[in-house]
Amino acid sequence: MTARTNASGLGPAALEAVNLSKRYGSNQALLDCTLTIPAGRVAALVGPNGSGKTTFLHLVVGLLEPTSGEIAVFGDTVGRDAQALTSVAFLAQDKPLYRNFRVREMLRFGRDLNPRWNGELARQRLDELEIPLDRKVGRLSGGQQTQVALTLALAKQPSLLVLDEPLADLDPLARHDVTRHLMAAVAETGLTVLLSSHVVPDLADTCDWLVVLNRGRLQVSGDIDELLASHHLLVGPADGADAVAAEQQVVTRHTVGRQASLLVRGSAPAAGPDWTTRPVELEELVLTYLRDPAATALQPAMCQN
Amino acid sequence: MYWLTWRQHRAQVLATTGLLVVLGALLLASALDATRYLAEHVVAGCPGPAEQCRAVNAALTQRYGLVYQAVLGILPLLGPALVGAFWGAPLIGREFERGTNKLAWTQSVSVRRWLGVKVGLLAVLVVAAGLALSAMVGAWLSVFDDVVGPAFSNAGLFNLVGVAAAAWWLFAFTLGVAVSTIVRRTLAAMAVTFAVIALVFPVMVFARDAYAEPLRASYTEYQAILDQGAILTGNVWTDTSGREIADPPSALCPPAPGEADTEAGQRKRDSCLAGQGYLATVEYHPASRFWRFQWTQAAILAVSTALLGAVAFSWTLRRRQ
Repeated sequence: MTARTNASGLGPAALEAVNLSKRYGSNQALLDCTLTIPAGRVAALVGPNGSGKTTFLHLVVGLLEPTSGEIAVFGDTVGRDAQALTSVAFLAQDKPLYRNFRVREMLRFGRDLNPRWNGELARQRLDELEIPLDRKVGRLSGGQQTQVALTLALAKQPSLLVLDEPLADLDPLARHDVTRHLMAAVAETGLTVLLSSHVVPDLADTCDWLVVLNRGRLQVSGDIDELLASHHLLVGPADGADAVAAEQQVVTRHTVGRQASLLVRGSAPAAGPDWTTRPVELEELVLTYLRDPAATALQPAMCQN
Repeated sequence: MYWLTWRQHRAQVLATTGLLVVLGALLLASALDATRYLAEHVVAGCPGPAEQCRAVNAALTQRYGLVYQAVLGILPLLGPALVGAFWGAPLIGREFERGTNKLAWTQSVSVRRWLGVKVGLLAVLVVAAGLALSAMVGAWLSVFDDVVGPAFSNAGLFNLVGVAAAAWWLFAFTLGVAVSTIVRRTLAAMAVTFAVIALVFPVMVFARDAYAEPLRASYTEYQAILDQGAILTGNVWTDTSGREIADPPSALCPPAPGEADTEAGQRKRDSCLAGQGYLATVEYHPASRFWRFQWTQAAILAVSTALLGAVAFSWTLRRRQ
């Protein structure tokens, strides 16, 4: 794959997938996904359980081989260019660590296996978190284990950090801590983050790019602000809905009793006097798309026609 | 990678070293004891086949049997089984079981290198351990040479000396790794590895007879050949023109009444048949074929090891999760 430049023209995109598909036997886990995530973004990958999120992330980090299509990280094809391994760090869903290692030994593991390893950063983080280096990993709390796993990922100094459900199984306090540290790292280093989640409200404050997967197909990929600005909800009488819909780019349409609500795309849609127009929230947007798997909104426009 | 390999597998390395040290001490004690006995009971020409050596031979055989029955009898089979189960099977099985493959294989080291260093390093240690075992057993056996004969004809001992133990251990280790890449569970991989070795070992023991064309000798030399530590593979009759036949014609040299099943009767019949041109011959592999057989078996195991290694690598590198 040749390195394509992102929208701003500043070097290759953090992530570029072209016609990416993955099939397990007769189960099509991911079908024909083409998307680009520009560098420097914090991208949220959302979708219901079984929508192919984990499969997609495993393809990004090279744990899986695509059935067809290609995927590249900063222009390096995953699975072919060794560089792709160095520039990506991955935090798997179950936060795997060697339970019989001491925390110090986990750091040694990171140092030995990564040329860009920043041991100073790792020790400083664990020190701040008051996680003792001599403790066995298996004796740490769930939140502490997540923090150690995240520390390993950050000390690798990746250009792209991939996190699979990083906040699942954490209590609210730990959840807040992890998010805060993650955002601090993003602010300091400008790394690109791709994280999956099924909790949409958590994402609104931290993410600026949205990817929606549904039943193995890509539904949405775009800048969150732009997505919110370009989508509106039109609510009005059901009998006039056809006429309004004909003039708008309708994403989804729901009729309840005599009232119809249309999610439409485009800037400042104009409808009749019986109609009210209001902006949508992120969660509403995601849920509306998920209810209608055939609808898509993909950005940049070159991705799919 | 070297440190990681050591850190993850040091338990096996230390346990194996410990067991070898214990076994070494046992063999050393046994050998010293036998040597001291010989020094205290000096009989000219003993130990050996002579009549006056009976007491010395019995004392040595008893000391030999003690160690053989306690450990060496089971070790040719148990050694590879343990190496396969505890060195090989957990290498991949435990990573999949705990999901740590997702951690290990997303560092900056490729899976190929990760597996290559681990398997390579541990393979060297396994071979070294196998050779150390063989050297110790060989040295211990040399004390008993004159009473128990060479290790060639004993299928168990044959697989403990020379290069056999190292070849078996390396084969078992690679088998354990290959199985665990496929079944992905440590315990299941251990069980399968155990079962495969328990199946392959007797097959290899039986296959040994076919490593070379056996020599032939007259049946009258039967005992002498056996005493030299040869492997007997069978006996055949040849007729007057030298052709192989199943049995000499029963009408020839009928046994005298009452002597049919006695050894004397048998010998009488054999010499009568020999007079008629029907010869009983034994087929055997002389003990001098020891190294030829050692290397033949090692080569068979090495090729199998290479195939299993290829399976382990290609299966792991397929990235199918």
